[in-house]
Amino acid sequence: MLSRVADAVFWMARYMERTDNILRALRTNYIASQDEIQNFDWQIWVEGLGPDGYVSKSSPTYREALHHLLLNKENNTSLLVNVARARENARSVQDYITKEVWQCINDYYHLIRDPYTEQLLLANDPVTAFDNLLRESTLFYGTVDITMNRGEGYSFLNIGKYIERLLRSLDILELKIKELEKGGSEVTQWKYLLYSLSGYEFHTKYYRNVLSTENVIHQVILNMQFPHSALYCLSQANRYFKRLDVISVPEHFKEMEFLLGRAVSNLRYGGHEQKNVEQVKSLVLRTKIEIKELSQKLASLYFGYS
Amino acid sequence: MSFGSLLSEYTTKPNIWDEMCLEGEIREHYKVFFETLSQISPAELARKDELAKKLFMSQGITFTVYSDGEGIEKIFPFDIIPRIITAAEWTHIEQGIKQRIKALNIFLRDIYHDQFIIKDGVIPASLIHTCPNFLREMVGVDVPFDIYTHISGIDLIRDSDGSFYVLEDNLRTPSGVSYMLENRSMTYRIFPGLLPKSSVRSVKDYPDLLLKNLLGLSNRQKSEPTVVLLTPGIFNSAYFEHTTLARLMGIELVEGRDLVVDNAKVYMKTTAGLKQVDVIYRRVDDEFIDPLIFNPNSILGVSGLYYAYRKGNVAIVNAPGNGVADDKAVYSFVPQMIKYYLNEEPILKTVPTYAMENQEHFQHVFSNITKMVIKKTNESGGYGMLMGHAVTEKEVSEYRKEVEKNPRHFIAQPIISLSSVPCFINNKIQPRHVDLRPFALNGPQGIEIVPGGLTRVALREGSLVVNSSQGGGSKDTWILG
Repeated sequence: MLSRVADAVFWMARYMERTDNILRALRTNYIASQDEIQNFDWQIWVEGLGPDGYVSKSSPTYREALHHLLLNKENNTSLLVNVARARENARSVQDYITKEVWQCINDYYHLIRDPYTEQLLLANDPVTAFDNLLRESTLFYGTVDITMNRGEGYSFLNIGKYIERLLRSLDILELKIKELEKGGSEVTQWKYLLYSLSGYEFHTKYYRNVLSTENVIHQVILNMQFPHSALYCLSQANRYFKRLDVISVPEHFKEMEFLLGRAVSNLRYGGHEQKNVEQVKSLVLRTKIEIKELSQKLASLYFGYS
Repeated sequence: MSFGSLLSEYTTKPNIWDEMCLEGEIREHYKVFFETLSQISPAELARKDELAKKLFMSQGITFTVYSDGEGIEKIFPFDIIPRIITAAEWTHIEQGIKQRIKALNIFLRDIYHDQFIIKDGVIPASLIHTCPNFLREMVGVDVPFDIYTHISGIDLIRDSDGSFYVLEDNLRTPSGVSYMLENRSMTYRIFPGLLPKSSVRSVKDYPDLLLKNLLGLSNRQKSEPTVVLLTPGIFNSAYFEHTTLARLMGIELVEGRDLVVDNAKVYMKTTAGLKQVDVIYRRVDDEFIDPLIFNPNSILGVSGLYYAYRKGNVAIVNAPGNGVADDKAVYSFVPQMIKYYLNEEPILKTVPTYAMENQEHFQHVFSNITKMVIKKTNESGGYGMLMGHAVTEKEVSEYRKEVEKNPRHFIAQPIISLSSVPCFINNKIQPRHVDLRPFALNGPQGIEIVPGGLTRVALREGSLVVNSSQGGGSKDTWILG
């Protein structure tokens, strides 16, 4: 396939995944801010999800925070901008992706720009807005699954999706740690972390005990049954990459295969030593650097069309 | 037949050919449709109109207008009432267009080779050599199968007696064919069951015919030649059409930056390395296709593409240089071309055209300006024209100065009133003026025309300008079988 098309499909998947992950986290936070925790600290989230080095006004209200993170056109990292970017990418490969996938993203775009969505978020029940948006997002995954052919493009799409999910899981983990460091009950914070990653119910079934830091870290970093764990995501990215073997230039394939294999091993065997918050922070940092390197390599070996 | 309240606002004007009504009666070929229509309430029609808009929006059949850095999605206006053309009328159109395309194609071959038509005194040499679209770079270039006009979109209009006139031969990169296809699929969404009942001929073969022709142009001894569609990119207003055609034909949609020329061969950059390209259906204008030969600032094209083309290593569709044949001043010579090359009488009429270089014509036009339209020979899209019946004296005198400066770039034609058809506007059925653009495909096996085309509507009351950039819309076009 064309390198430009592979690149656009990869980024389309990344923006869609990013939007989905952040939506789930914000939905959880919003509910948390309404329920148990007094004076939920939105500043950490506005700054943490903003562009690097973004400084928020102090103690934004939940409506301000939601508007900024979801709908602010000036905010380069808002979900509206994310969806618009996903759509621009989809549009530039409209002939490659299926008509159904294109229409799905297009509908999503029109929904997030709909004045009714804004009204729900800013004056009504934000949970309804979150649920409407998440439904579109879920529709996207399903549509991709049942309409896209399993060729090269599907591999790039999935590599993008899992790399993005991995980075989001690590980001949300980092932000929760930041919240913890500012005080608050560990159990409650971990619970909300798992809710954000759609992993709380699984945790109660799999670990069968009160939330402990060790178990939560294990679930988020290493648990291969948990679809948002770092190791699961990286292994999936690796698996979809291996399918590219037949179409790749052999040297390019070898180089990427090595980087991905090493990253999987580092995470799998390095992750077992992580028992406390300090250790996990440095692992997160190392992993992020490694992922950045391998994404750059992928771009230059497979998307390097200019 | 009683029109009831449905047509209470439908008043046809004298001296205008109305395609549905003749002296207060519904014409035969509109009867089946009208019966269905009269069973639908205006409120229901309004809902259908709304549904059509929603479908266009959700399918992304839109173009983006940028203002204040923010994109606004717009749809091309669509009118829900189909325009109906009889089988006999279509046969006439089809024969006429085939004849015309055949002659124009021979003309292009001739004008870029021996120029017999000039040597025999049929067309003045000065007319050709002052034409900005005559491409010197094409002189002596042999193109595959001697075909220049692979895809053309001929604009037809109907005068007050109902006869068809050719208004323009769009031989460069005519657009609108995706709307022919989309408008049809809109009709079966909003009027279920109506198409089969009315025995409407299908337009869905267009992409297959086009692909067959494109594949046939490959020069390589290869079972599966690589055909691509070259688009200027997502900011082009016809981008939707480019993706639709690429998808329907299953070919790659490429931008200039996806292609590279090496050793006079064209390649596309893929994840697995370079892959040779055999045929390019380009939707980029001549002057942008190769910065080494034409506009050096163009980033839409590919450096070296023209050299590869001249070497015969890649086919380009349509051929570069076609602009000389759809120049508005050359247009008036098409009947002579038909006689000269084919020894036939023209089947379709041509609008009388006055060359403004000619002093007598010039005087005649400006003393009858209210009946005239003046156009630039090199413009399309309804830009730069002067409709004599709708302007002030001041505008006329200003335009006159423009014409005097460079008379070769202007022609004048008597205003033709354009036929009217029923449209659903403001919850009422009202007549509006239309033209018709069928799409002709010229391939190694001959010329084929899909039974249909794009009907463009001037949505403003009384307006004769159908261009989408000037307040025009479109509607589905039915050719009855």
